[in-house]
Amino acid sequence: MSTAQLDRPSRVAANPSGGALQRVARLRRTSPGRLQLILAGLLTLGLLTGLVAGLTAATAATGTADLGNRAQPLLVEAETIYSALADADTTAAQAFLAGGLEPTDLTRRYSDDLDRATTALTSAARRTPETGRSADAIRRLSTDVARYSALVASARANNRQGLPVGAAYLSSASTLSRESLQPQAQALFQAAQSEVDDGYGDARSSWWSALLIVLLLALLAALLLAQRHLSRTTHRTFNVPLLIATTLTLVLALGVGTVLVSQRAHLTEADTEGSWPVALLAETRIAALRERGDEALTLAARSGEGALETDFDQTSARLDDLLTDAGQVMPDGYAGSAVRAAAQAHHDYVGAHDKVRKLDNDGDYDGAVALTIGAPTSGTFTGLTDDIGQALENRKDVFRRQIGAAGHGLGLLTVLGPLLALLVCGLAFAGIRARLEEYR
Amino acid sequence: MRARVALVAVAALTVLAAAGCSGDSSPLPGRPSASAGPAPTGAAAVDVSCRPRASLKPAGALPAPGRMPAGSYMAEIYKRGRLVLGTSQDTLLFSSRNPFTGKVEGFDVDMGRQIAQAIFDDPDKIQIKVIAYDKRVSSAVDGSVDLVADTMTANCARWKDVDFSSIYYEAGQKVLVAKGSKATSINDLGGKKVCSARGSTSYDNIGKVPAKPIPVARPGFGDCLVAFQQNEVDAISTDDTILVGLAAQDPYAKVVGRRFTDEPYGMAMNKQHPEFTRFVNAVLAKNRANGTWKSTYERWLGDFGPAPQPPAAEYKG
Repeated sequence: MSTAQLDRPSRVAANPSGGALQRVARLRRTSPGRLQLILAGLLTLGLLTGLVAGLTAATAATGTADLGNRAQPLLVEAETIYSALADADTTAAQAFLAGGLEPTDLTRRYSDDLDRATTALTSAARRTPETGRSADAIRRLSTDVARYSALVASARANNRQGLPVGAAYLSSASTLSRESLQPQAQALFQAAQSEVDDGYGDARSSWWSALLIVLLLALLAALLLAQRHLSRTTHRTFNVPLLIATTLTLVLALGVGTVLVSQRAHLTEADTEGSWPVALLAETRIAALRERGDEALTLAARSGEGALETDFDQTSARLDDLLTDAGQVMPDGYAGSAVRAAAQAHHDYVGAHDKVRKLDNDGDYDGAVALTIGAPTSGTFTGLTDDIGQALENRKDVFRRQIGAAGHGLGLLTVLGPLLALLVCGLAFAGIRARLEEYR
Repeated sequence: MRARVALVAVAALTVLAAAGCSGDSSPLPGRPSASAGPAPTGAAAVDVSCRPRASLKPAGALPAPGRMPAGSYMAEIYKRGRLVLGTSQDTLLFSSRNPFTGKVEGFDVDMGRQIAQAIFDDPDKIQIKVIAYDKRVSSAVDGSVDLVADTMTANCARWKDVDFSSIYYEAGQKVLVAKGSKATSINDLGGKKVCSARGSTSYDNIGKVPAKPIPVARPGFGDCLVAFQQNEVDAISTDDTILVGLAAQDPYAKVVGRRFTDEPYGMAMNKQHPEFTRFVNAVLAKNRANGTWKSTYERWLGDFGPAPQPPAAEYKG
């Protein structure tokens, strides 16, 4: 008795599914049943395709926009922070080398550097989630930049009063810059670089695209099979609504294909012609500034060639490699000629640096200082960074153009994809319903 | 007895360490610091077994400038055209960078210039190389400088690696505190952070004070003043003369207490060419006698009162 009572509800629960399966099996045996099944299949596929088309387009659009508006700008800002801080350090050391009151153009350059760094830091903070590697780096940078500028301000105040402790303040500031600020900026740069790499993956949204293509093909096949079935079982060769639905599905597939292929082509272009050269050139500019900093700090330390000069040699070799790579990536055009000019300027600058070292090693410290902060050497070095900067701006433009083009059509697809799919569903319903009516 | 064993061990290690060695007080990897050996019984534990004040006796009359004996190290310097002096650039009055001119100047630099004068008849034929405090011994040993004049105490640990000139200045360690501080000597600074230059004898001496102040090392004394002004340390302790130079840059600092150590300054040179040490001693002897030492003292340290008698030269062979 008790078992009967337990059995009853379970049978009730099993009934609908069991009933549904039985109904499907029963439907397959009758002609209108088969039509109903075909209709159900077409509607399911159509709705799914519409949904996935919308989602794919939306994901790709979001990914592309995120890449263009967040990840890549973050990379550029990280480079700005890094190079501005490195330049500030070098400039402060050069102003110190000059002796007496710091030259106005150098103090102005230092202030500009610090402004650039803090502005970039603020906007980088906006583009970074609250936790993670980038966020940590930004927090440390923000506190340390304040400490750094306070130390440099003390150095200047003391220097103005003729107190030698100014030099000690400056070297504390420089230590802070080299041991904390610049490594943090580098960490941020690397984090941004991997975000850009991830960004390309998100923008391509390959899984969604693959699913969409499979669904579109399935829908197309289903429509064709349905029409073949109809033309065999009825006396009409063509079912007009289904024919239109097929055409629409083809149009949708073509549209999706065009948009996605073009998006991917532009993304690839943005990567190889934009992001990659931008990262390469950013690293080049950082290396150049590091060289110049090594040179100035070696002279400021007044202790002959030491670890900093070794660093200069290593950085210089790396810079040559980077410029060679950049030359291969950008063989011609505006950026190409800028890179070639930069390579020449670097060659000239290293020549001047060798003279500086020779003067210092031979005991002519004042001569070495005069040569390194003098107009010709400064001009050569500024030429080098300007050339790199021009190539960098040019590549940033390319990136912006390509990423803009990659986003084209995705918004339209987000709306039109589901709409077209709904239309296909409607047509399929209309086409098959007309045949079903005949069995009433 | 144990202390002697330790010293022998240190000496043996010194020989083994060969070119890489330095008698600096800063401990190097693989080599125990000589000053860390004896028990810290206050300032009394100074090793004088080697007679650190005694240098090599000048050999005969000083050669005329430009006429250095053939084959001597002085002739080598003359041929090179400049004397390379190792010093610091942040020790006001002894060797610091003049912020207005960018030149490094002071009592120590003038000592070096007087040697250049004796070799070249031109005190400007000198190249200033700034060396860290913990590189003072190694720079003389590896030959990167000819002469180190950098408020450097002649002690037995360093004598193992370098030769010192005769003593050219008598200093002693004191302590610099904030103007409002109630401390009257280093003994009142137990548990407080006291800064000194890394590799200086002053740094080791702070650790030996019974009141147990916390020694804090910075690359130089200018960096100590920065730390003091940023409230990272409570006091700075080193030779009185250096402290006076620091206090002169900060109206909110004062030097207190009596000297609790003796720091006789000598110029350090490579042991390979004792003739140069004898030459330097001859120049020092001449300048003590003819009043050059006194006028140099007055030029840099005259604000602290009249010049005392120059330290008497002691020789050992």
